[in-house]
Amino acid sequence: MLNLVEITLKSILRDRVFHGIIFSALVFLLIPSVASLSMRQMTELSMNLSLSLLSFILLLLALFLGGTHLWKDIERRYTYSVLTLPISRSSYLVGKFLGIAIFIFAVACLLGLVAAGVVVFSSGIYPPERPIAWDNFVAAVVLDALKYILVVATAFLFSSVGTSFFLPVFGTICIFFVGSASQQVYDYITAPATTDISLFTKKAATVVYYLLPNYSAFDYKVNAVYGVPIAGSGLLLTLAYFAVYALIVVALAALLFEKREMN
Amino acid sequence: MALLACLCALYAAIIVPFASYMRSKPFAEKLGTLPTVATLKFMSADQKLFVGSSLVMKVIIYFGGLAELAKNRIIIPPDYPAMSRTIHAAVKLDPYNIDAYYFAQAFLTWDARQFTIANDLLREGMKYRTWDWYLPFFIGFNYAFFLKDFDSAAQYYRKAGELSGQELHISLAGRYMQEAGQTDHAIAYLTVMAKGARSPMARKTFETRLVAFKQVKRIELARDAFREKHGRLPSSLHALIESGYLADKPVDPYGGEFFIAADGKVGTTSKFAFKGDDKQPGNKGGTKP
Amino acid sequence: MKAIEISGLGKTYKGRKGTRIQALKGLSLDIMQGEVFGFLGPNGAGKSTTIKALMGLIRPTAGDALILGERITSCTARRNVGYLPENPSFYDYLTAEEYLTFVAKSFDVKGNLLEQRVAESLKLMELWEARKRPIRSYSKGMVQRVGLAQVLVHAPEVFILDEPMSGLDPLGRALVKEIILDLKKRGKCVFFSTHITDDVEKVCDRVGVIVSGQLQALDSVENILRSGLEGYCVQIRSGVKRLDVFDGFEVLRTHDPFVEYMVPAARFNEFMALVGHHSAEVMFVETRRKDLEAFFLEIVEKGEA
Ligand SMILES: Nc1ncnc2c1ncn2[C@@H]1O[C@H](COP(=O)(O)OP(=O)(O)OP(=O)(O)O)[C@@H](O)[C@H]1O
Ligand SMILES: [Mg+2]
Repeated sequence: MLNLVEITLKSILRDRVFHGIIFSALVFLLIPSVASLSMRQMTELSMNLSLSLLSFILLLLALFLGGTHLWKDIERRYTYSVLTLPISRSSYLVGKFLGIAIFIFAVACLLGLVAAGVVVFSSGIYPPERPIAWDNFVAAVVLDALKYILVVATAFLFSSVGTSFFLPVFGTICIFFVGSASQQVYDYITAPATTDISLFTKKAATVVYYLLPNYSAFDYKVNAVYGVPIAGSGLLLTLAYFAVYALIVVALAALLFEKREMN
Repeated sequence: MALLACLCALYAAIIVPFASYMRSKPFAEKLGTLPTVATLKFMSADQKLFVGSSLVMKVIIYFGGLAELAKNRIIIPPDYPAMSRTIHAAVKLDPYNIDAYYFAQAFLTWDARQFTIANDLLREGMKYRTWDWYLPFFIGFNYAFFLKDFDSAAQYYRKAGELSGQELHISLAGRYMQEAGQTDHAIAYLTVMAKGARSPMARKTFETRLVAFKQVKRIELARDAFREKHGRLPSSLHALIESGYLADKPVDPYGGEFFIAADGKVGTTSKFAFKGDDKQPGNKGGTKP
Repeated sequence: MKAIEISGLGKTYKGRKGTRIQALKGLSLDIMQGEVFGFLGPNGAGKSTTIKALMGLIRPTAGDALILGERITSCTARRNVGYLPENPSFYDYLTAEEYLTFVAKSFDVKGNLLEQRVAESLKLMELWEARKRPIRSYSKGMVQRVGLAQVLVHAPEVFILDEPMSGLDPLGRALVKEIILDLKKRGKCVFFSTHITDDVEKVCDRVGVIVSGQLQALDSVENILRSGLEGYCVQIRSGVKRLDVFDGFEVLRTHDPFVEYMVPAARFNEFMALVGHHSAEVMFVETRRKDLEAFFLEIVEKGEA
């Protein structure tokens, strides 16, 4: 399995994915000048923009790597030579997933450092009214990375059954949007003030809410940017949620992939 | 090769008119019709903060552009309802964004004269920015200056004082809680605002207003001196200049004409806003100082 | 010991609009350890389908198979199997050296042995010079060579090769044949599919012919060749005065003073007796037989009819 993780990382690096990241990371350099347009919160705005850019790059990576990696192996018939090695398809899939997950996490850490540099630079020009909550910043970056690892997991789930890259890529995008909004919809529908919705709809919405990945749970940008305190227990619960949900999705993907015909 | 050169030349020919066309597009068109807040929230997924701040930026840049034009005597009436809608959408996406509140306070009150809307927005912001003294300070000012609700004003000023730990806010409130102190109050407020303004553009907006109010103050001082001496109000601004109480004719940076109303109040035909503002709906409340 | 045991293997592909393609119809076949088995068949006969099923790439719709006693549904069945896919493609961003290392590691080859095996197979397949280049830059034949090298690198007991000679130059073909014979000498099992009867004739112990998903013939190469014997071509010098003693035999060629006769196997002794009796001089004797190709074509025609 480690062997496969290594190969996956090699494939990502040799595909020049990293060059693309560095190229998009150049946008970080523009952030201080854009943030200087702010009237009262230059530091906050730089952190906001940095974290947003980081999220965006990670989203692209997760979609691109998660959605096309398995498909490419199948399309280019690498699976004939790899899946006939004495490794189970599950460990092949898990190895690939871990490789991408490690890459996403590493990129998040790296870009997190760049973002921190941008914020420090901005705060040097115009000191913020309140001290920067660096612990929240770290939490926001790490949870962002976890969120996109979860996105990769859903992309793998789609890849394990799809025969083209359309299903994984577009399916993942749909799940991403819906999963980012599910909390909001759930809150609205289950609020006691909401009476014009039938009981059945409420129940159905609850089921859907429990089934879909809750991406909004991983959004700690507000806490980082505006120094809003994070509840430790909530953070732990979110981490546990991530671990269990990701495991389930990957296990399901592995199960489906085991059953799949390679022709 | 020749074809490529031709295409490049064609591009050069077309890009300048294209750019000027894009520049001259009206704001409503540039901003586009904003989707509903629910749609925006859905579309922005995990980029709500980013979308929120870019909406604020859009409004600020738009307004700054108009101010720039106004300096060159090109007066285009700002689209206040669109600006207000945009800011409201922005704080739904990022309820912590101080730029949004700060800017809303600036244009919703002085220019659009939507005091209650401004105060509601600021009160909403206070729920999130629980540490920030600016929001209650703005609300207090709006109550005192525009709405003449001195009790509420004092309450919010006190809140601002508690948050900032600055005696100034409490005492400032106490000292000027009457109509007579309006101009001093405005000058104090604008000084705070201008000092805190980060962007040169915002600072310019406040400074322009500050200049106008300093002129008002000058006229008021002259008027008071006249009344002391003659026991009656001067008949007009012109009379004050004639009789030497005002050394020169005060100039309204908004392009209006100062006047002294029958009750002695100093006003200006510009109403402290660039021309075209009073075409906006909801321009009903508030007493002009 | 049986290396590969196929019993009643069937595969029906589901095509579009509910069409079904019966690619494999109850194939049963046993291949022994130490045996080189040639799997012959025309295009679309079901050779690759059989092999893919053996390697767990597709699930058979009927029957079962064992490799070295392990069910093919488990990935442990492949622990001692080297597989070469048809038209192989390997992670082309890796170099040949890296890819071989990856494969060897997957088979739990470690340390010095790993390095040694990688180097050996690279040299054997004449990829040593190109080993540091990504596979992306290789020619078709070089990729095929990588395929053979990645089979050899972990020294398995069973080799399953889908058209190992395709895309290779004559030197490469000769090399592969040599390698297969060497593997046979070392007691390995080689199961390979091909269209080229000549290759089978040269290296195989047994051959199976599959047509439209059914095994049509299964025999040792020796038996086939022996049963195909038609007779001998004998050339004698016509110094003999009375050539008409051979009148009962068909003359193939006369090239003064030599005459070539076609002698049926059954009458060879009779012919030789005549030669001795008339003290004719035999220049050479050549066996005449149907080759494997004729045998193959015959079976295919029969199978398709
Ligand atoms: N994925 C598939 N879906 C439907 N039919 C298939 C599929 N793969 C193979 N077939 C059919 O199964 C039959 C056997 O194919 P197979 O690839 O096993 O032939 P082969 O003997 O390897 O031929 P070749 O010598 O050309 O390699 C063919 O009729 C083919 O059309
Ligand atoms: Mg084939």
